[in-house]
Amino acid sequence: MSSNSPVNPRARFNVGDRVRVKELPNLFYSRTQMFVRGVHGTIAARTYEDVVPEDEAWDRQDAVPEQYYIVRFRQKDLWEEYPFDKDTLQTEFPDRWLDPVNN
Amino acid sequence: MHDDPSHDHADDHDHGHPHEHPAAPMVEEITDFEVLEIAVRELAIEKGLFTAEDHRRFTEWAEQIGPAGGSRLVAKAWSDPAFKQRVLDDAVAACREIGIDWSEPTGSGTPSDYMNLRVLEDTPTLHHVIVCTLCSCYPRPLLGHSPYWYRSPNYRRRLVRWPRQVLTEFGLSLSSEIEIRVEDSNQKCRFMVMPVRPAGTEGWSEAQLAEIVTRDCMIGVALPRPGRTADDALPVHEARRPVQEHAP
Repeated sequence: MSSNSPVNPRARFNVGDRVRVKELPNLFYSRTQMFVRGVHGTIAARTYEDVVPEDEAWDRQDAVPEQYYIVRFRQKDLWEEYPFDKDTLQTEFPDRWLDPVNN
Repeated sequence: MHDDPSHDHADDHDHGHPHEHPAAPMVEEITDFEVLEIAVRELAIEKGLFTAEDHRRFTEWAEQIGPAGGSRLVAKAWSDPAFKQRVLDDAVAACREIGIDWSEPTGSGTPSDYMNLRVLEDTPTLHHVIVCTLCSCYPRPLLGHSPYWYRSPNYRRRLVRWPRQVLTEFGLSLSSEIEIRVEDSNQKCRFMVMPVRPAGTEGWSEAQLAEIVTRDCMIGVALPRPGRTADDALPVHEARRPVQEHAP
């Protein structure tokens, strides 16, 4: 299975791609924190393939693994009052939590 | 053995006056969680999920882990550029070179779920600091157990949004020209900081270098420097409303 293939729906992004964190509903459990939802970032690394935590938490045996990524955000994009231009924050997402951004 | 210094007698306990030794726990308080742990452990042993020997071996491992592995990793990376590159390319494989196996960290045959270690390389213009906002994920095979403050909501909630203020509370003030990058370990990657090798360490052996790479340096709340071989003790603030003693 080619993880680099753009037609693979579970591994769409490469390092350097601009992405936006989706605002998906989640019930009871998620590892995607509220403070990153809707924010634009850049793929900093491709890490591994695994099932999404929302499925793993419920022991879904039929869950299909997805590519995970570390995404880098500017702190100024995360927090309205953040005063320092250079600072960044990184956190990790499975593929489905991210949308491509064209700018 | 008696704590009372007025009891001045030999090893043989046979003497005139009987002592009263009422049964009492060795600690003053035991928490609900400790009671729960004992109950679950005894039940698991009774059901044959593991043996008391298994538990003893695992406990001994868990109680002796500390940051020495991480210190050695950084010291070796500082001393050997090729090793440093291997650490950055595949940190789990590099750990095996220094005797730490992430797939069997306990030696008890329990593979770790968390095989994705990434070492974050600081530069003169980039400083990393690590947190787990969700819980308290930590690279235990390399650093041992996390300090209590790392697990506190105080640290976890505030570091992501006010990193410079929180670092100042640890005594670390960095210029705004340096990028501070917070790494929130919210999935299965585990992280450790590789600080910049400080000036004044030229010609040092790996052992000397490892001495100044303390746990707080590898979390990112302190910088290593010659002469600094221990993390600063943080004050413990007494509870304003401590648990009240209840009459028996």
